[in-house]
Amino acid sequence: MTIPAIPRRIDVIRTFKEQGGYVAAVLPIHYPRSLLRAFNILPVEVWGPPGIKARDGAKHLQPYVCSIVHNALSFLQSGGLDITDILIVPHTCDSLQGLGSILLDFVSPKQPVIPIYLPRGKRESDVDFFANELRSIYRQLEAITGHSPTDADLLQSIYREEAADKLLSELHRCRRNLPFSNLAFYRLLRNREHLPAETFMELAQKALAQKVDTTQDGGIPILLSGIVPEPMSLLGAISQMGGVVAADDLACCGRRLYPPGQSDDPFRRIAERILYAPPDPTRGNSIKERLEHLLQLVETSGAKGVIFYEVKFCEPELFDLPQLRQGLQEAGLPSLTIEMDLNDPLSHQALTRLEAFLEMIQ
Amino acid sequence: MSKIQALGLDVGSTTVKMVGLDAEGEMAWHFLEQAEPLLENQIARFLERARNVTGPLDGIPLVATGYGRGLVNQATRTVTEITCHARGIYRELGHGGTLVDIGGQDSKVIGISPQGKVIDFTMNDKCAAGTGRFLENTASRLKVSLDRMGPEALSVSDEVSISSTCTVFAESEVISLIAHGVSIASILRGLHRSLVKRMVSMILTVGLTPPLMLSGGVAQNPAIRQMLEEETGQKIILPHYPQLMGACGAALFALDA
Repeated sequence: MTIPAIPRRIDVIRTFKEQGGYVAAVLPIHYPRSLLRAFNILPVEVWGPPGIKARDGAKHLQPYVCSIVHNALSFLQSGGLDITDILIVPHTCDSLQGLGSILLDFVSPKQPVIPIYLPRGKRESDVDFFANELRSIYRQLEAITGHSPTDADLLQSIYREEAADKLLSELHRCRRNLPFSNLAFYRLLRNREHLPAETFMELAQKALAQKVDTTQDGGIPILLSGIVPEPMSLLGAISQMGGVVAADDLACCGRRLYPPGQSDDPFRRIAERILYAPPDPTRGNSIKERLEHLLQLVETSGAKGVIFYEVKFCEPELFDLPQLRQGLQEAGLPSLTIEMDLNDPLSHQALTRLEAFLEMIQ
Repeated sequence: MSKIQALGLDVGSTTVKMVGLDAEGEMAWHFLEQAEPLLENQIARFLERARNVTGPLDGIPLVATGYGRGLVNQATRTVTEITCHARGIYRELGHGGTLVDIGGQDSKVIGISPQGKVIDFTMNDKCAAGTGRFLENTASRLKVSLDRMGPEALSVSDEVSISSTCTVFAESEVISLIAHGVSIASILRGLHRSLVKRMVSMILTVGLTPPLMLSGGVAQNPAIRQMLEEETGQKIILPHYPQLMGACGAALFALDA
C-alpha cells in the first residue's frame, strides 16, 4: 500500500497560473481559503519554508523572532515568492503582525500585501468583526483581480472547501486504520497547504480507499502538539523509536479542522468556520479550552503522552505551556517539550529527549 | 570478585564509564576514562578491558547509554541516559524523588516515581551554561584545577555576581573581574552560584519532589552540593558513585535481558 502520487508544489502553482488563475503566498495560520478561491486565487501556504539561508530577513528582524517569520521574509527577498501575485499576512502573533508592517512600510514587495486582522475570541461580536474584515478583504481582492464573485459564487467555493475539510477530518479520524507511516501520512495531510481543494479531495479519497478495519500496529501512541512538524524527519524518527502519532494539535494540521459554517451569509459563514475551529492560542482560546481539547484528543486516540514540538521563540505557544503541562500532569499524562529552529536539522539532543520520552511512556 | 553477568557502558561527552554487575545486580567491577575523540577505538578498548576481567564476553549482555550509545555496535540494545540514570539511582538509593545530573555536555533533571519510573524530565542541552563544561572552561581560565574549584569557592564568603548565563560571556566577565582586582575565590563562588541558579530553574520546570539527589561528575564538587542545598532548601542525597549511575542503570537493563 502506498500513498497516492502527490503533485509537486511548483507544478501545481504553474498549472494554476497557466489556466489563468492567481497565486497568493499565505503566511500562517488561519485565512479564508474559500474567499480566495472564489476570486480564482490559489492560496499557497508559506511555513517558513524550512532549511533556507535566512540572511536577508535578519536585516529587518530581531534575532528572537521565530524562524518561520525570518525565513518567510528571507525567502521573499531572495525571489522565492516571485511566482506569486499576492501576499496574505494574517495577524497571527506579534511577529507576523510585525512582518505585515515591515512588508507594507519598508520592504514594499512587488506583490500587493493584504493583512488579515483576526479577532481573539468567538463571541457573536467576534464573528461580526471578522465577517466585516472578510468583506474588506473581498474589496481588496476585487481591486486586484477585477473580479466580483457573487454571494452564490462565494457559497459554492465555501461548500467545496467544506467538503475538502470533511475529508481532511476523516483522514485524521481514521489515521490508525490507514497503512501509512507517520511521515507518509503527514506528507499527505500537508498537501492541503497548497493543493486546490478539488485536487486534495481526489488524493484524500484515494488514501481513504486504502482504509482497513483493524487498527494498524504503529507502536506507542502519542499526541503531537505545536506549530509545524519540521524537519519532517521528526516523523520518521518517531516511527523508528517505536512511536506513532495517534492524533495532533498542530497549527498546520489538527487546529485547522474547520467545521462547516451555519450562516447563509458567505462572509459570516467563513468567519464561523475559522473562529469555531479547534482551540488555538493565536485566536485567543483559553488554556482551559486548549486543555479540554487535548484531553479529548488523548481519550479518542489512546495517546499515552503529549509532545509539544515548538518553534523557538513562538510566544503564543510557549506562554501556554507551563499551565498546559501542569494540567496534563494532573490528568496523569506525561508531556515533553522540544524547541526547534526551522533551519536546523533534528539535533541529537532532541532525538535523545524523544527517545527518553517514549521509553518513559511505553 | 563476583562473576559479572551484565555490562553497562555509558559513553558520555566528557567521560566513558563501564560497569559490570553480578547476578544480584551488585556492582562487581567498573572502569572510567576521559572521553577521546575516536570513540570507536576507546569503546573497543573498554570491551577488551572487560574481557580481561570476565573472560569471553559471549553471552554477557551489554547495554549502551550516553550520547555516544549509537556507536557501540556490540551492545545488545541502547537505552537513553535519562532512563538509565533513573534506574541506576533508584537501585542504589531505593526511593524516588528528583535527580539532578550535571554532566559534561548537558544537565538533566529527572522526576522519579516512588516505584523508580521516570515521570518527567528536562534537559539543558543547548548551551554550555549549567553543565560541567561551564566549570571546566572557567577552571582553565583561572588556572585552578577542577577538583580545587569547589573548596576554593567555599573558602570565602564574598561572592561576586556573574550576570551572564552564557559560558563564553561569563569568561569575558571573569577576565574583567580579575582586572578589577576581585579575588579568584570570590569569582569562583559567583560562578558556582550562577550554575546552581540555572539548575534550580530547570528543577522548577520539572517540579521539586523531595528528596533531591545528585549524580554526574559535578556531584563531586562540594560547592555545587552546598549551594544547591541553599537554593532549594533541600538536603542533597548522593549515591556512592555519582558518575556511574548511567552505566549502572544500563547494566541493570542488560541484566533484565
